[in-house]
Amino acid sequence: MNTGFEIFSPSYLLFPALLGTGILGLVCPLIGSYLVLRRTVFLGLTLPQIAAAGIAFTFWLQQAGFLPLLGDSEHGVGMLGSLLFTFLGMGLLGYLEQRGKGLAEGRLAAAYALAGALTILFMVFNPAGQVEVLNLLKGEVIALSQGELRLLALVFGAVLLVMLSFHREFLLISFDRDLAFLLKGRQVIWDVLLYLLAGMSIAFGVIMAGPLLLFGFLVLPALAARPLVNKMGSFLSLASFLGVTMAVLGFYFSVRLDLPLGPTDVTLGCCLIFLAYALRRFSPKTGVALLLLIGVGASINGCSTRTTAVPVPEAKTIHAEQLWLAKVKNSTALPLLLPSNNPLRSLAEMAGKVSSDYRQNVMDMLRDSLKAELEQRGFRISLPEERDARFVAFPADTDAAVRVAREGKLSGLTFVGEIRRWEVEAQKFVRVIADFKLIRIDDGVVLWERRVQRAVPTPSATNVGQASTDAVKEIVHDLFAG
Amino acid sequence: MKSEQDVDAIRSAGEKGLKTNPAPLVSLHNVSLGYDSRPVLADVNLAIYPGDLFGLAGPNGSGKTTLFRAILGLLPILDGSLSRNCPLSNFGYVPQSAALDPQFPLSVAEIVEMGAYGRVRSYQVFPRDEKRQAVEALDQVGVRHLMKRSFFSLSGGQKQRVLIARALMVLPKIMILDEPLSGVDEESRRTITDVLIKLTREKGMAVFFSSHDLMMVQRVADRIVRVDKGKIWVEKGKMSHQP
Repeated sequence: MNTGFEIFSPSYLLFPALLGTGILGLVCPLIGSYLVLRRTVFLGLTLPQIAAAGIAFTFWLQQAGFLPLLGDSEHGVGMLGSLLFTFLGMGLLGYLEQRGKGLAEGRLAAAYALAGALTILFMVFNPAGQVEVLNLLKGEVIALSQGELRLLALVFGAVLLVMLSFHREFLLISFDRDLAFLLKGRQVIWDVLLYLLAGMSIAFGVIMAGPLLLFGFLVLPALAARPLVNKMGSFLSLASFLGVTMAVLGFYFSVRLDLPLGPTDVTLGCCLIFLAYALRRFSPKTGVALLLLIGVGASINGCSTRTTAVPVPEAKTIHAEQLWLAKVKNSTALPLLLPSNNPLRSLAEMAGKVSSDYRQNVMDMLRDSLKAELEQRGFRISLPEERDARFVAFPADTDAAVRVAREGKLSGLTFVGEIRRWEVEAQKFVRVIADFKLIRIDDGVVLWERRVQRAVPTPSATNVGQASTDAVKEIVHDLFAG
Repeated sequence: MKSEQDVDAIRSAGEKGLKTNPAPLVSLHNVSLGYDSRPVLADVNLAIYPGDLFGLAGPNGSGKTTLFRAILGLLPILDGSLSRNCPLSNFGYVPQSAALDPQFPLSVAEIVEMGAYGRVRSYQVFPRDEKRQAVEALDQVGVRHLMKRSFFSLSGGQKQRVLIARALMVLPKIMILDEPLSGVDEESRRTITDVLIKLTREKGMAVFFSSHDLMMVQRVADRIVRVDKGKIWVEKGKMSHQP
């Protein structure tokens, strides 16, 4: 990716995920605005947590054999539980509200604690499905498929349409219930409709984006918009705009820096609130104009930043040919082994090139690819373990790498690599953090270095091994092409 | 701003020309009102006709708001009978401005336009005619110049006038005002009383307002409904205009 604008291209692999967060950012603040104005913000925190408990519950039921598999989709089962628990929770909270016993905040706090506890307990009951449940609860919106995007667009499109159609009724019932009764009759229908929309958005949103991100989208844009406007129409529009800004900027930073999307978006949303309060000293119009300017400016600036990565230099440009290519260090705490059903491996075993005990891993594959590319750049490659079998992988820390090389009486250049993160996500992309350095051993000067920190798309991968192989190719291509 | 003599002239003109319609807009017969089956007011007998200017006087907590809420259908009656000869959408209600939540970002224009929400379809764009009518309503209470201001940044008197404009947007047959004169400046107080008198005399609207200030009610209202210690009775008003 040369510039962030590429994320807006429909052909971009993660474009459905960007659209998905954009949709959430557009619609959720409209619902959240009413939660903020009605002083029921905690509902926006509690209901997503209840939905999360529902997801964990249905997974447990399915694992125990009480629920059939709904196709091959994990989301289908989770959605069922999310919807069920959300509406049950809303019904129960509504019933307790009617009875008027205790503090409203107290009820919501207790419900939040209970839902959180149940989520953990259901996961404990279902150890086999813990990873799936955790993934769903984390809300991997970044792995949204086309089908899920269509469902999201359909549900949130309907919510948006109803919100726009009945915005006057929702305002009236929220602001002045007595006038609403005189002009529109029984108010309960509008309350029910508003909470129904909130419940639908939360139940579907939690499974797509996770409870944290959903709460962020519901509440933070509305809180940021409130100090800057004095009109309801402007408030709703600004909240929606800030939601979309939060979604786009958050998505950009998440992809660019390989940060988890939920916490990135929520942090950005909180920054928007601080910014809004700082701008409150200006008149509302100036404040809104400045905030829009900053939002749009930050998005454009962030997305248009062109990364000018320098490729690995040619051997002749640095007047050196001898290069010790160290083993790539694995700092992930995972073995990063590739599946053994690789047909190429069988051929290699038959040819006696690899022992049958050996299992190929990402580090070796990466070093093989690096070796080929470095040779093309004119380097004469030697492997440290061929000099001394005691050589293991070099660390990417310059001083440590130079020390190890000198202790092994190596001279010339060394190329070191260290993988800090390697996570294959749904075979669609691999989250990578890896450091590479070209170091002159004699004086410890770093001639070239690069940190790869991003989600590497692997669109054509059909299994985890293929995804890792494709990611290695992409990374090496990146290092040498600039 | 009208002088006391002008107000007198309006009032006497109205008294001559109106009260021709015998059907009461609201009538209460032996009504008991209260909460959780505990009566706050008992044996309430009252009939409000078009053109009536009623003042409801009583100390705080005596049941003034309870009576209003029952008339507006917001509180079920415990006993007796209450009848209305016009739909609830013909009731213009002016709550105490302090009862409204300042958390809502609302301009004066948005507040007043709410009065027309009963007539505008849900998915319809807010009609221009209604917008024009909102401006006229604000004009009527003398706060047209504030229409773009934030409602909650206004003074108590200005807020009260805006809420009256909102009630006028309903195109009401009867106006119910809960403490419209409490906590308002002198200029707003005069404007509000002028508007209430005009509405009854010139438009034949019934007006029923409450206040804990008996002297104020006696100065403005034609008839005074007194509430105190669970009892209710009616007195003649217009203290300052009696010979």
